[in-house]
Formats: sequence, structure tokens, C-alpha cells
Amino acid sequence: MKRRGTFAATAVGAIAALVISACSSSSSSSGSTPTSTAGAVAFNAGLTSVVNPSSGKGGTLTYDDSSTPDSFDPGNTYYAWVLNFDRLFVMPMFTYKSCTGTCGEQLVPDLAADMGTTSDNGLTWTFHIQPNIKFEDGTVVTSQDVKYAIERTYDRTVAANGPTYYQALLADPKYPGPYKDRSKNLMGLTSVQTPDATTIVFHLQAPFPDLPYVLAFPSSAPVPPAKDTGSNYQLHPVSTGPYMFQSYQLNKQLTLVPNPQWNAATDPNSKQAASKIIVNLNVSQPDIDNRLLAGDVQIDAAGAGVSAAAQARILSNPALKANADNPVDGFARFAYLNTKVAPMNNIHCRMAVEYAVNKVNTQTAYGGPYAGGAIATTVMPPNIVGYKSFDLYNVKSQPTGDITAAKQQLTLCGQPNGFSTNLAYRSDRPKETASATAIQASLAQVGIKLTLKGFPAGSYYTNFAGAPAYVHSHNIGMAMGGWGADWPDGFGFLDSLTAGNTISSTGNSNIAELNDPVVNDLFTKSSTLTGAARTAVWAQIDEQVMKDAAIVPLTYEKTLLYRPTSLTNAYIQAYYGMYNYATAGAKS
Amino acid sequence: MIFFIIRRLVLTVFLLILVSIITFAIFFLVPRLAGQTAYQLAAQYVGRSPTPSEIKAVEIKLGLNDPLYLQYGRYLKGIVFGIHYNNGPDVSYCPFPCFGYSFRNQQPVWPQLVSAAPVTLSLAIGASVLWLIGGVSIGVLSALRRGSIFDRFSMGVALAGVSLPVFFTGLIALELFSYKWPIFPNVHFVPITTNPLLWARNLVLPWVTLAFLYAALYARLTRAGMLETMGEDYIRTARAKGLPERQVVVKHGLRAALTPIITIFGLDLGLLLGGAILTETTFSLPGLGQFTILAIQNQDLPEILGVVMIASFFIVIANMIVDILYAVVDPRVRF
Repeated sequence: MKRRGTFAATAVGAIAALVISACSSSSSSSGSTPTSTAGAVAFNAGLTSVVNPSSGKGGTLTYDDSSTPDSFDPGNTYYAWVLNFDRLFVMPMFTYKSCTGTCGEQLVPDLAADMGTTSDNGLTWTFHIQPNIKFEDGTVVTSQDVKYAIERTYDRTVAANGPTYYQALLADPKYPGPYKDRSKNLMGLTSVQTPDATTIVFHLQAPFPDLPYVLAFPSSAPVPPAKDTGSNYQLHPVSTGPYMFQSYQLNKQLTLVPNPQWNAATDPNSKQAASKIIVNLNVSQPDIDNRLLAGDVQIDAAGAGVSAAAQARILSNPALKANADNPVDGFARFAYLNTKVAPMNNIHCRMAVEYAVNKVNTQTAYGGPYAGGAIATTVMPPNIVGYKSFDLYNVKSQPTGDITAAKQQLTLCGQPNGFSTNLAYRSDRPKETASATAIQASLAQVGIKLTLKGFPAGSYYTNFAGAPAYVHSHNIGMAMGGWGADWPDGFGFLDSLTAGNTISSTGNSNIAELNDPVVNDLFTKSSTLTGAARTAVWAQIDEQVMKDAAIVPLTYEKTLLYRPTSLTNAYIQAYYGMYNYATAGAKS
Repeated sequence: MIFFIIRRLVLTVFLLILVSIITFAIFFLVPRLAGQTAYQLAAQYVGRSPTPSEIKAVEIKLGLNDPLYLQYGRYLKGIVFGIHYNNGPDVSYCPFPCFGYSFRNQQPVWPQLVSAAPVTLSLAIGASVLWLIGGVSIGVLSALRRGSIFDRFSMGVALAGVSLPVFFTGLIALELFSYKWPIFPNVHFVPITTNPLLWARNLVLPWVTLAFLYAALYARLTRAGMLETMGEDYIRTARAKGLPERQVVVKHGLRAALTPIITIFGLDLGLLLGGAILTETTFSLPGLGQFTILAIQNQDLPEILGVVMIASFFIVIANMIVDILYAVVDPRVRF
């Protein structure tokens, strides 16, 4: 998932405090309706309770976004905030429960009527959809509409932005997409079958217990084939959710109005809590912050937090601070250590880097404890299911770096006086630039000379840090980056980062190029396990990756979000790490 | 005069073609010379974890694998005759003057430019009226009252106006007049066709902010020009012949001093019509300037190309109008 339209990021959000507090609110978050305790207005109240709860339909709810969405086509998006927002106008097969605390990471059926069943040793999944869901034009949704929505994601000349799990998981990866499908009735995607109007069957290449999580992406939301306009579908997706498009001016403004065909009883995790929703695009961040503080808008759509200036203003004013929340957004910042580029292909050289990095300085570079995040010691952030706290490189006791241990590792690496390598980073990202500079300074203390190599963010993964051939030929031993899970379990977070089979020639996410048989075997093992046994594997993988010293975890990212008093049903949904857009409303 | 205009229009067309060739070369040829392949370029527009065949498909769809002269020819043909593009289920026609379609949002560029242009036009025209009237008036008065308190004060303010960047004065203006004293609250663009009053109310701050910068410049230029002109022999002659001072100043002094102002005004207005990037960004106005920033951030080459062409067009046309006005203001130009 991508945060704020830039790079892969998650939208899973919770913190240790949130986990603890969620226990106390768990009783209120059980059940089929989005229930949570109503909370008083206070700093971080939105992490554990619903602030300004409202059951009625309020006034106009206004969002501002400092950029534009990657697409409002549900089959063509990967931005975290759009995944959150899309639930207002489409119903994917699954969604995350609308409730506070860790309850908000719980996967529940949305369009689906059940959690699905597996057969054929996990190679076949069967789901049923609710029978009476209607599109905005009154047509009843069928399983064929879901199948067609999935087919659309195969044509990346039209839908380039979204995740590619179907191509990777389903049994016919060569399917060209419906626009090039010449089979009768567009039935070319044989791995998805629709035996009747409410049943859909998926055939996988290999067992994959997390398939329901994949179906929580809006790309599983039904699309009527006759209404598909391809690359123009983003201008008016056919709604199944509580709202529908009234108007959309590209790069300017989106207006949603209530969908008369929507039935609250069939969609308990969403609400029609506003009479109209307006999304202003391309609003400058200082302007967004001012409008939020003035109450002119209710939500900063990107959910990436206020600017540094507004942050200072909010934190220094108790009245404003009482209307702010500071969630972990599930995103983690890293320095990847390439296991194939000399001398970083020597584990002791990598360990020297692990010990030497001053994580207090990198935390400051990313914005400090409120906007930067907490200092990290593991690859997985604490909110991921399967997270286990450990600290292999003395970060907790020596967060500014363990110079002695680093020098010992350099000796073992055969480079007692240090070595030289290059560090790639995105030069158009000030925080990342500052963090790279901080790492350069801290490694210089043990004689490791880093040359900073800045690249544009737009092609960072495709042509530079994510292109192994370029990395090798330009001796890039380290690269900055960030990551977040596509779903809140260890597989969703770790697979793309650390599994050997994910190394690709371009757009590579396994930037360390880690191909450790121990890690790979653990991933293979995980596909045959379920429940607690499966969850336990994630911590084992995390620990093995840290033993391999393939990644230097820098921060578990946090954001400072502001909720104006005019925002109703305001609370952080843990999976997204931002306010729950599916239930938010505005006072009349 | 007619032949003059026709000649300039023909030259304008050639100039725009030249601009398009240079711009196209900058965005498509230079990266190739630097070693970037069409495959690498296409990889930027396929999202995460693409397979080689998916990148190849995008490369073919965007025509990046064709020789550059073919790509340019297709681009030019699209502008003149329109072009068909594949949107998935069917093929859409993008009519003249289609500037290609975006690599990112897969929408034709021209409608997006047309949608952004009224915002920039509203901003530029309104601000230019303000700065022209304000700047020239202050310049004239300062010149006529040289050394007075008014002169010193207005030139001091002008110096501040020239020195302070728009993103600073804009933010201050917003903070003071939109949030602290909400005389102009919640500034956002409203089309003039929707509500002329709201259109004007929401543009007052951007107009004043932008005009403050330019008015300062124009005041100083006008003052300098007037001081020089008012010292000319023909002004003394006019006065000696008993012409009223007002007529001497306006008809003989200002008219001559205006010539360089018109030249600069044409260039400034042309540039602004191509997008007032800082002002539009500061006030979140969805005009061509903001469109440019977004296109650059997204590395959306057809959109960048489109906005460069539009900006060039405005600058060339503004220059042509300046030349015509020049001939009107100063009859010597016609001979």
C-alpha cells in the first residue's frame, strides 16, 4: 500500500497503548455493528473511543487532500487513504471492522456473506456474496460482477496502480485481462468460477490462507461489465456503498451524495453519516492545516499528519492538542543493506552498520517522536499480528549506536578501518534526505564512508534502488526506504520485503536481495499452517532477517492527526492508521 | 497593420513548432542520450512489481518503443487532427488540439488544460488589472512628487513588494485575513459562471498578493520612466506652449513612459497565463500552475509537454499583442 501517493506503505495503525486500551474497549467492539465506547475530547481519545458519536445524518463532510488520488477506480488504487475512502462508494468482498483499538484490524465480510471455505488442500476457496446488494442504478450485484472486477486488474495498461496479488496467486497468471479476452462471455479467467449468482470460487496456484485479506482490497468490489469504461471508470465508479459519485473534476474536486440503493443492514461497517461529502484535491498542506484548525474542513484525506508548523501549534496549545490523535500508522522506515553488493555481502559488515546507526538522529530526521515515530528494533511494527519484541543490536540500551560492537564486527568483516559504499535515497523527500545524512554521519564514526546517491522518488524503485542490475553496477550497498503491510499480519508485511522469490528485476521490494533458505522455508511452512502456529512463524522470520542484518529498522512511523469538533464518529481505525472514513460524519 | 498581424501569426506557428520540438527533445531524447531505455521509461508507469511482459505492454501502448521522430510526429498529428486512444473496453477519440494523453491518469491532456485554464485566467487577469492600475499610478505620482514622503514611502513599500516572495506574502495574507480575521474565509476557487460574487471574493487575496509583487515592480519602472520622460525637451516645450499640467503628464509624459511598461506587461501576463505556480500553490487554486507541479511530481511527460506548449502559446501571443499595442502607443514603430 502506498502512503500519500508516494511509495509502498501500510495503513495498519495501532500502538502499544492502543493495544492495551483496546482490551478495555473490546467488549463494546464485538457484534456486527460498528460499536465502540464514546469518548471525551482529549489527546489520543480517538485511538480508543469514538469522539463526537452521532447516529444521524449530518451536514456536509469535507476532506482536503494535498495531492490527488492515484485513481478512484477501485481496481486501480494502492494509496492507503483511497483504500480507506473507497469503502464509501464500493463494497469489496471483505473489509476491516469499524471499531476502535485493535478490533479495527479484524477482517469481516462486506459484500461476502461468509469468511469462505477452502478445499482441495487449500487450493480452492469458495465464497458466497450477499444476495440483495444493489448497484446505484438498482441492478442486483452478482458474483459475475465480482469476477469481472478481478479480471480488470489483469490489464496493467489500463489498471497499473493496484496490487498484483491475483496474478501471483490465481491459477492462470497469463490471463490478459477482459479487454483482450476473446473468449465467449469474457470467461477467460478460468481460475475464478461463478457457479451461480451468489457463489464465487477461486482456484489458486498454491495454498494461500490470506486470500480473504487480498479480497479486502477494493479491487474485489463488483463492477458491472456493461458499465465498465476502462480508464474512464475512475470518473464514475458504479456505487454499491453508502455514497455515489455526483461529480468528479479530475485534480480538483469530488462530490459524493447518498446512494439511495444502499441498505445499512447489509453493510454494518459503513454509515451515511453526512448529507454530502466533498473532497478538495491539490490543497496546499499549510492551507489544509489551517482549514482543519478553523473547522472549515473535517479531515485531511491523506491521513499522513499535519505539517511541522501546525504540529508545533497543536502540541503547544492544550485546547488544540485535545483534538489531536497520534497513532502509529503501521508504516516502518528502513535502511536496506544489500546482501549481494561487496563488502555488504559480508554479514559482519552489515552487522557493523546495524550497531553503528544512531537511531535517535534518524528518528529526529523523520520528524521526532510525534511525527517521525518510535525507534524500531524489529522489521515488523508492533501492530502487526505476530509481532514479537526483540533487540539484537543493543538499540534499546544504546540508541545512539554501539560503536564498540560495530568496530568488533568490522574486524570480523576484515575491514577494521571501515569501508566505503553508496547509500541510495529519494532526494525529493526532505525527511529521507535528512535521515540518510544522519546515517552517513553516524557510520563515519566507525570509518564507514557513505556516499549519498539521491534519486527521484518517481523512478526510485523502478530504475534505481529497486533495480538489482543498477544496484550492482553502481555499488549501492545501502538504500533508504519505507514499508507497510497490505494486511495486518506477518505475511502481509514481510513477504515482499524478505522472501527470496520476490526479488524482481524492476520495482523490486526485496531491496536487500535477501534469499535466505531459512526465511524462504519459513514462508513455505506458513502456507500450510493456520491460527497461532502460523502467527508464530512471523516473529521467527523477523528475527532471522535481523540475524541476517539485511535491514536496519529505523522507526515505527507515527502521525499527528487533527479532528475538528465538527467531525463526528471520529476515531482511528487501526488497520488504516487514520480516521475511519467509512463511518465519519459532520455536524449539521 | 493586417499584414503585420498575419506575419506575426505565421511566425507564431513556426515558433510553437520549434518550442514543441525542443521540449519534446528535452523530455524524450535527453533521457535516451543519458542511457534510459524505453523499457525503463515504461517501467515508471506500470505500478509495483510488474512483470517484463506487463512493462512491454505499457511500452507498446504508450508508443515508447517507436523511433523518436515517429513519436513526435504522432504528437504533432494529435494536436492538428486529434487522435484515438485505447481506454480499455473501447477506443476514444481525442479531438483537436489533443495534446496526447496522460501516462499517469490515462486521460487526455487537453481537457485537463482547458479545465485548469479558467482558474489561471481569472487569477492573472484580475491581478494584472490591479497591479497595472496600482503600479502605474503610484509610479506616476512618485515621479511627480519626487523626494516627497509619499515618494519615499511608496518606493519603500515597492522595495518590500519586490523582495518578498509570493509564498510568504500569500501565507501571511491567508493567516491574517482568512483565519485570524476571517474577512475572506475558506478561500477556494468558484467559477465566475457559478457565482460571480463568490468568484471575486475568493480571488481577492490571491489577486492582491500577486499584484503586490508586480505592482511594486511596475511602480519603480514607471517612476524611473516618468522621471526620465518628464525631463525631456518636448515636455518643457509642451509646458511652454501653455498646455495644462494634466495633459502634459498624461498625454506626453505617461504615453512615452508606458512603452517599456507595455513590453514587460505583455511578457509578465503571458508568463502568468501559463501558470502562476507559487500563487496557485499557496492559495490552492487548481490552475495551470498547480497542474504543472502535479505533472512534474508525477513525471507525467505528456502533461508537462502540454503545459509547456500552452505557456509558450500565451507568451508568444502576449508578445504579439504587445507589438501591436506598441504600434498604437508609439506611432514611430509603424514606420
